[in-house]
Amino acid sequence: MSITANSSGAAILDIAAPSRVRRLIRANMAVILPVATALSVLIVWQIVTVAFQIPRVILPAPSEIGAHFLTNLPALLNHARHTGLEALGAFVLATAAGATLAGLMAAFPLAREILQPNLVAFQLIPKIALAPMFIIWLGIDTPSRLAFAVFMSFFPVVISTTVGLSNTDPVSLRLCRSLAASGVQTFFQVRVPFALPYLFNGMRIASTMAIIGVVVAEFISSRAGLGFYILYSSSRMETVGIFSALLMLCIVGLVLFGAVVLAERIVRRTYLA
Amino acid sequence: MAVDVNSTAGRLERTVTPVHPASWRLYGPAIRRVALPLAFVICVFAAWEVAVRISGVSSMIIVPPSAIFAVLSQHHAILMQHAIPTLAETVAGFSLASLLGITLGTLIASSERMRQAIYPNMVLFQVIPKVALAPLFIVWLGIGTPSRLAFAVFIAFFPVAVSTAAGLAGTSPAALRLCRSLTATGLQTFVNVRFPYAVPYIFAGLKVGVTMSVIGIVVGEFVTAQAGLGYIIMFASSAAETALALAAVFLLCLVGVILYGVVTLLEIAVMRKLDAPMSAGDVV
Repeated sequence: MSITANSSGAAILDIAAPSRVRRLIRANMAVILPVATALSVLIVWQIVTVAFQIPRVILPAPSEIGAHFLTNLPALLNHARHTGLEALGAFVLATAAGATLAGLMAAFPLAREILQPNLVAFQLIPKIALAPMFIIWLGIDTPSRLAFAVFMSFFPVVISTTVGLSNTDPVSLRLCRSLAASGVQTFFQVRVPFALPYLFNGMRIASTMAIIGVVVAEFISSRAGLGFYILYSSSRMETVGIFSALLMLCIVGLVLFGAVVLAERIVRRTYLA
Repeated sequence: MAVDVNSTAGRLERTVTPVHPASWRLYGPAIRRVALPLAFVICVFAAWEVAVRISGVSSMIIVPPSAIFAVLSQHHAILMQHAIPTLAETVAGFSLASLLGITLGTLIASSERMRQAIYPNMVLFQVIPKVALAPLFIVWLGIGTPSRLAFAVFIAFFPVAVSTAAGLAGTSPAALRLCRSLTATGLQTFVNVRFPYAVPYIFAGLKVGVTMSVIGIVVGEFVTAQAGLGYIIMFASSAAETALALAAVFLLCLVGVILYGVVTLLEIAVMRKLDAPMSAGDVV
């Protein structure tokens, strides 16, 4: 009897006062778990490819991809520069054009009534199908890739920003009216700050779409860039090269995505604090 | 007296006559919502037609809409022959992707630890330009339907899984507390509360997924195919047959919009179906 009481008491103590390490682990579970999952996937991948001697053409091991990535880093960086700059240019143009059009649509309700259903319809159609047309229209160089990437990434920005601008808190708008604020004042001091999260949401999607646009255009026609590198590697059955280029592409994508997230934080802090 | 009746009748008539403006007030906004955008599209097409005719641009660069519709009506047999494999593959890819996505989303949402372990990785995957993996699927699965199907499933299932997980995780806490106090089992809670709550989210994911699966099949067809609308677009644009390419693009848009419409109809049906037993349960 006394023994069981003792042991249960010890158990309670154990739960009540976990070691510092365990407390640290528990606090950072949200970071540790996904990283551990990703790592274990990589380890399983490595073991499977080595144990079953899977041919390199089918699936290279993560260690081989890493080695290839490091040895070809200068070439990959050079290709990433082409892809990254074009994606960045397209993203900036798409954001500027999208935000401007959304602003105009908020200022002129009739324009919004006319345009918005069409913009939403454009979201539904597979815009990628038009990639070859851009090559016909604008040639096989940067302009066509840039235009296509803008075309791909423009719609999420417009639609998201328009939703943001039209969903301003009605109480704030009534307050503006009762304070006799002009339309321009209301727009820039109330509607725009309210729409900022929506704008950034559209920009986050656009940053991914811009890279997809550039890569697809590079698939169709280019002499440089990561899309070109992927096609080149796959035509030579160098699967490890495809994976290296993909890794680089992920890095470019995450950098652009991270830049948007960072910009959102800064803008929110200056605007909403 | 009689005169009085007459005058009231006249007054009545006068109040009845403006029935037209009244019905316009009722249906006007709806008509306006459809007619204005439609009129704009017609204007754009008309301007396109006129601009191409006046400027006399080569038919290799751009053709007027009338030429596209001429191609559509002339070669509709061949175009249909190519539209059917694309449509069939898209439907198959989308069905597989939704099945897989909903299942995985449910698994992720089944426990907090699981969600923490997988969800951030999936969001990361959303950021990666998955289209770039298309050549890899050809290395793995060859140049036939399986590789296109697998690629379409691959890019379409992430949005479904992510929004299913988000929907299941976002069940109203009050409803869950009610379930606990009524001692509902985990399965009962899932079937009767969590899943119905997640249905709008799941359909939001499915709507993205249906567009993505069209994109997946078309990109697959770009990279390698001997049939399908993506093949026609590639073939026609390399032969500078712009009218044919744009006709194929038009059909592809039609496929995309039809599939989206089907998903929307399905959503309405499911929502209705889910509402009925829930309200009956309320009554009982």
